[in-house]
Amino acid sequence: MADIKLKIKKKLDFPLEADSITPDNFAGKTVAEIKKLPLYYATKKVTIGDFFDVSGKSTEVANTKIIIDGDLSNVKRIGEKMTGGEIEINSAVGMHVGNHMSGGKIVVNGNADDWAGAMLQGGELEINGDAGHYVGSAYRGYWQGMKNGIIKVKGKVGVESMLWAKSSKPANKWPTLYCGSAESFLGIHNHGGTIVVEGDVDRCAGADQAWGNIVIKGKVSRLLPSYKKVGEVKEVQLPNGEVIKGKFIEYSGDHTIKKETNGRLYIAV
Amino acid sequence: MVEKIRTVKDVSCPFCGTLCDDLEIDVNIKTDLVVEVRNGCQIGTKKYFSSNPSDHRYMKPLIKVNGEHKEVSWDEAIDKAADILVNAQRPLLYGFSSTECEAQSKGVELAEILNALLDNTASVCHGPSILAIQDVGASLATLGEIKNRADTIIFWGSNPVHAHPRHLSRYSDFIRGYFRTDGRNDRNIIVVDPRNTHTAQIADKYIKVNPSEDYELIQAIRAILRGNELDVKEVSGVPIDDIKELVEELKSCNFGVVFFGMGLTQSLAHHRNVDTAIRLVAELNDYTKFLLIPMRGHYNVAGANQVFTWNTGYPYSIDFSRGFPRYNPGEFSSVELLLRDEVDAALIVASDPGSNFPAASVKNLFKHPLISIEPHKTPTSAFADVILPAAIAGIECEGTAYRMDGVPLRLRKVKDPPGETLSDKEILERLIEKVKEKMGE
Repeated sequence: MADIKLKIKKKLDFPLEADSITPDNFAGKTVAEIKKLPLYYATKKVTIGDFFDVSGKSTEVANTKIIIDGDLSNVKRIGEKMTGGEIEINSAVGMHVGNHMSGGKIVVNGNADDWAGAMLQGGELEINGDAGHYVGSAYRGYWQGMKNGIIKVKGKVGVESMLWAKSSKPANKWPTLYCGSAESFLGIHNHGGTIVVEGDVDRCAGADQAWGNIVIKGKVSRLLPSYKKVGEVKEVQLPNGEVIKGKFIEYSGDHTIKKETNGRLYIAV
Repeated sequence: MVEKIRTVKDVSCPFCGTLCDDLEIDVNIKTDLVVEVRNGCQIGTKKYFSSNPSDHRYMKPLIKVNGEHKEVSWDEAIDKAADILVNAQRPLLYGFSSTECEAQSKGVELAEILNALLDNTASVCHGPSILAIQDVGASLATLGEIKNRADTIIFWGSNPVHAHPRHLSRYSDFIRGYFRTDGRNDRNIIVVDPRNTHTAQIADKYIKVNPSEDYELIQAIRAILRGNELDVKEVSGVPIDDIKELVEELKSCNFGVVFFGMGLTQSLAHHRNVDTAIRLVAELNDYTKFLLIPMRGHYNVAGANQVFTWNTGYPYSIDFSRGFPRYNPGEFSSVELLLRDEVDAALIVASDPGSNFPAASVKNLFKHPLISIEPHKTPTSAFADVILPAAIAGIECEGTAYRMDGVPLRLRKVKDPPGETLSDKEILERLIEKVKEKMGE
């Protein structure tokens, strides 16, 4: 795999929009060409060379790996719309990391800000820290958010994660979120998304869920009154084929959408 | 000697979103002072009197020199303001809800020229309602329809007795309508609120909900409406039998409406409260006619959303930094921008974030150069580097404003602006001209 290394060389007073940092844009380009790719800082159009030291070389998209160092907590939109290759971010990262991504892999070795993996269409986003609000969610006004792919968050995810997730059985697309714990409104308006939480979840998990599966191995601070207990299960079979062992109470809902629903919420006993 | 009085009739009141259009204002012809206001509520009346010159009113442009505000000419003040905006890297234009639509549209023009951030006060009041409407739509109506037809009125998290004092008598409660000939006696008023407000005290039914638990209560109502038996005995402090009774009441009415306020939009679940309320209303239409209307606060905040939308495509929280409008509340909304300290200069038009925003964001707002277009002294203008004194729209200059239900009404001029004050529109036009000149366009 051909590596390209980026190191940020300036302290940022304003957010830097770096939607050009993707394996798709870097593939087949020389370091000089990569340095000329545009970034947006405050109201100005700048280049990658203005803000980053660049080294290494790239080949085709699938074999391009971008490694980014330095403080990126205010750098937005890294990996936007990427279709393949890999990005490794060795820092906290700003908003919208990996939004609209449809293939490849992004690893964030730190915390990610809001809208990480928003509108994800495929690929894998791994965050080895906490993530902000709206992880894997739909953008404002969209009725279909994350449609495929996997997001793994080691720590906590913020409010309204996996908002309007949408699966497709014929296309075998199962958007899935694994996280350590979650704030309120996890999986709201879920249409088939799968969520597995290792720890606790705040209020209103699975609000207005039409169908889909939410598995919580910890506690829920306040279960919605519109969920009804179905019974106890010893294992949960997820639509992507995965089986989760353990004793869970199975709830059906959200019954605000339909009287009989395929939406399921599993909470550990 | 008897003072000569001029009376202006059918005036739209520029205070709250109810935008009452039946005020009568008496102005002393010799002194050009407001001497009497008829038909207005206490707050609206006070606003007319506040237009008379006083210690609180700005009469001349001011610039801050060594910590003191100094009177300067308009040219000097506009020049300084334009300097601040042109030299800023990420300026914010905020406010606009207490001025008329023409001025708002000039604000959009200025933001576009500067590649600035543009926001209005919906961002801290009914912005969540707009987010919810964008997610799930809304069944809205005009207030005239409510007046003539509605027999069940729900005030959820709103207290019109204090916030929209003439709402009840003009549109929603005491007024006699075409099909509601006996006024109050023909209407069933339900109030849902954590506090026993004065509106709750005149209601037929008061439901006390636990603070910030409205979402769960509406979800329970919706689930029962779908014919479910719930596992729980109580939701958000309301017994399940009371909820069932309420559901039957809602299903059996002829024409219902939900008026909702800050109690839904600014309690913990924000836009999700409105989201589920909208869906409840939509689902009630399986049984009867039901609608909902947001209780907009400022008289023209609905207009700000309208004007921003027809200019940029988005109602608030807009970023022009890449040369085209982008929209994302949370990312480009004023409070969050200021909390993250992403703004390095601000122009505040007809608004007072200094007393309404969280302290941490206000601190960051005051750290950077600040321009205030404002008729009165406010906590925000006290910290401004440039104060551009404005005439009060709807009192001293004409314009258009949108009522809470989206009906545009013409604002009237009842007296001349005092001192050197100019209308918001004219100030922004001068600013645009100066900014263009400095940017070499």
